[in-house]
Amino acid sequence: MSALDPYCQARSLRPGGEESGVVADDMICRELSRREAPADSGDPAVRLLQALIDDVDQRRSSVSITPST
Amino acid sequence: MTTGPISTGIMPNVTEGSVADAIGGVRLATRSDESDLRELTSLAVQGDRSAIETLLGRLRPMVVRYCRARLGRVAGQYHIADDVAQEVCIAVLSALPRYRDMGRPFASFVFGIASHKVADALRSSVRSAVPTQDLPDGPDDGPGPEETVVRYIEAEHARRLLSRLPDNQRELIILRVVSGLSAEETGNVLGMSPGAVRVAQHRALARLRAMAELESIA
Repeated sequence: MSALDPYCQARSLRPGGEESGVVADDMICRELSRREAPADSGDPAVRLLQALIDDVDQRRSSVSITPST
Repeated sequence: MTTGPISTGIMPNVTEGSVADAIGGVRLATRSDESDLRELTSLAVQGDRSAIETLLGRLRPMVVRYCRARLGRVAGQYHIADDVAQEVCIAVLSALPRYRDMGRPFASFVFGIASHKVADALRSSVRSAVPTQDLPDGPDDGPGPEETVVRYIEAEHARRLLSRLPDNQRELIILRVVSGLSAEETGNVLGMSPGAVRVAQHRALARLRAMAELESIA
């Protein structure tokens, strides 16, 4: 059985490595899923998902923006 | 607005307004004690009306969000998505007596049904039929036209970018973020471990960021 590749280990644990990204994004997903605004509002992915959440959660749409024919 | 002739006495109608009344319901539905939900499901399977109502009350907001996120608006309205959500709830109700607890959360059973219903709706041509909303009797305290349009455009942008993700990543993000499932529950629906869900959601968000940044440059 081979040991973990030290390069992969280093890559995943260093700041900016995938593991830290996984943890950070899990926190974002958890906050969005609980309808708590995540701290980093400059994140385009957060902004997009927040817009979708606001849209599907909204009470009612007051107008139809597609003109009827 | 009507939601079609598919409602039953035991289940409240899904109306366009009803999902927002349960914004806190995301947490209620997904963070509740698992054993409590399991017991509730067990009672519902045995036909306990009160348990069925409580169970559907917990699941319905998540199903509505899922259908709205997957199907989007038609002519600016969520009629179709809300009707499909209603159909999902009725299908769950019909299937309850046959449900057997195999160790997976009840939510995975529900979202399995929801996924099929949404796929049927996407294939169907009924999306062109748009019912007319009743005229309101009183003042509308919802967002104004300008805010509605801005919100609509942003949400459509999000849907467009999500549609460019691989199917499994899109489904995962909708279940995890929009419907409000935990990583464990999302994994149960999609047949993945919670760890795999966390890695996949990270990759999906990375793709979304890259696409959004590319669009902002172009």
